[in-house]
Amino acid sequence: MGNNRYKILVVEDEANIRSFVSAVLETNGYQVLTAGTCSQGELVAASHCPDLIILDLGLPDQDGLELIRRVRLSSLVPVIVLSARSGEKDKVAALDAGANDYVTKPFGTEELMARVRAAIRNSRHGPEKEGRFVTGDMEIDYDKRRISIGGEEIRLTQTEYNIVAFLSEHPGKVLTYAAIIKAVWGDAGQGCVKRLQVNMANIRKKFGVKPGRGRYILNELGVGYRMQEEHE
Amino acid sequence: MEDVRHTLKEAAMTFLILGAAFCLCLLMQNLFRTRTLIPAVFVLAVFLVSFFTQRYLFGIVASLVSVLALNFAFTFPYFTLNFTVPESIFSAVIMLAVTIMTSTMTTKLKKQEKMRAESEKEKLRANLLRAVSHDLRTPLTTIYGSCSAIIENYDRFSEGQKKKLLGEIREEADWLIRMVENLLSVTRIGGRGVSVVKTPTVLEELIDTVVMKFAKRYPSQEIQVEIPEEFVSIPMDAMLIGQVLTNLLENAVRHAEGMTSLALTVRTEGNEAVFTVADDGCGIPQDKLAGIFSGSAGGSPDSRKNNMGIGLSVCAAIIRAHGGRIWAENRKEGGALFGFSLEAEEAFNGEQQI
Repeated sequence: MGNNRYKILVVEDEANIRSFVSAVLETNGYQVLTAGTCSQGELVAASHCPDLIILDLGLPDQDGLELIRRVRLSSLVPVIVLSARSGEKDKVAALDAGANDYVTKPFGTEELMARVRAAIRNSRHGPEKEGRFVTGDMEIDYDKRRISIGGEEIRLTQTEYNIVAFLSEHPGKVLTYAAIIKAVWGDAGQGCVKRLQVNMANIRKKFGVKPGRGRYILNELGVGYRMQEEHE
Repeated sequence: MEDVRHTLKEAAMTFLILGAAFCLCLLMQNLFRTRTLIPAVFVLAVFLVSFFTQRYLFGIVASLVSVLALNFAFTFPYFTLNFTVPESIFSAVIMLAVTIMTSTMTTKLKKQEKMRAESEKEKLRANLLRAVSHDLRTPLTTIYGSCSAIIENYDRFSEGQKKKLLGEIREEADWLIRMVENLLSVTRIGGRGVSVVKTPTVLEELIDTVVMKFAKRYPSQEIQVEIPEEFVSIPMDAMLIGQVLTNLLENAVRHAEGMTSLALTVRTEGNEAVFTVADDGCGIPQDKLAGIFSGSAGGSPDSRKNNMGIGLSVCAAIIRAHGGRIWAENRKEGGALFGFSLEAEEAFNGEQQI
């Protein structure tokens, strides 16, 4: 990764957090821009066109959500939100506003870097609609609409396949319940989280996943699901 | 909205009790041909109404209705209202007295109960505060001391020494994080006696999240997980219940000496989900078993093990706020078992369908 010079904008009002996040990013070969307030962040984002924004939601001048919304008006730059532990609601709100991912405070730098790499990779390569998707020993063949684990085909219903396929289009990214429901059932499915959860339970059963092993599809309790990435 | 529903419920209850009393009296009058029991039945009805309803209003209405009913249906001449009989005025006075006294008593009882719950919460807060002031200082001392040592002696320390100190700093910080998570949980249930906000949570996903998080912290500790095969969804604050499970599992790792296996089991019984965390370690000393959830367990006040008491009392507070039960016991085959139960909205009838 050494030679890529992706630009990353860190918007965080705590100087100490800003400093260690910048330090880690720089040693990993990224170019770092920083901002301490929402408005400053917006300015830097507009003038420097960063490849990724790391954003703290609790900024002094404005809610970080505002920044996401305004950035989203003109750009698809991936945004990773730093959120406080309390409340899935904030996370869901940020994701629905257009954030790509979140990291819960306090976080380890390893976790942050994994998210950064995933977000940049996703934005660069875009969803791979055609061909195949592989994570671990699971493989999805989009043309044949077929999923196999360890070479053995898993028989899924249409709906189950659609869910897995949708998740696999954004590997490593948390997709909220609402986003998945909209993609799979359209507007008609709105609000029916339980239907999604039951389908997901069936998928886990067919995949032979035991709780605590975290294979293929990861739970983000109260928020949504995330397809495991190849390298995780 | 909640208020209106509550009032409607109480009105319905009043109506039902009075209706039942009236029917019973009609029945008795026809069966036993005697009227001596009838006022007693109505007094009981009035008592029940004032006991089960919050406000005086329903009790008073009930007693007036009772007097009218007595007068109308059960006093000669039957099925006419006649206020010249002094008897009816007497019974009215008696019933009103019963109503007012019962209502006052129930209100007082409820107030006392509330005060007890309040003082329990207060006690938990006090315990937490004490633990925080004692226990935060130790890791902070390590973190501060080690950091200054590294900064001041950066060139003199060997790589190994620096790594070791930094590792310790991270360990202490990790401990602080867990402490703060517990504190946050308490503030989340502490707000003005408001009970927790429950969202239907898929059991399997909850357990998966907790076990994954645990495995990250204690990679070498295996957990035997056993949960129902079918789809189970339980209304809860998932973050808080996750905290309870994490605390119980960590408690086993920290305190069950000689543990070789750790099991997390969930069963569904009727409309309850029963969670248990069982180990085969040294068990809980008898003298600590009684007060284990009150925050008084744990070693000397200065000891790090105090966190056990805090962790467990946080568990108890969370489960109580969910309206569930929590318990601890020593297993016959050795080791300790912690369990708690949560109520589901509907009974688990095999496969829950939508």
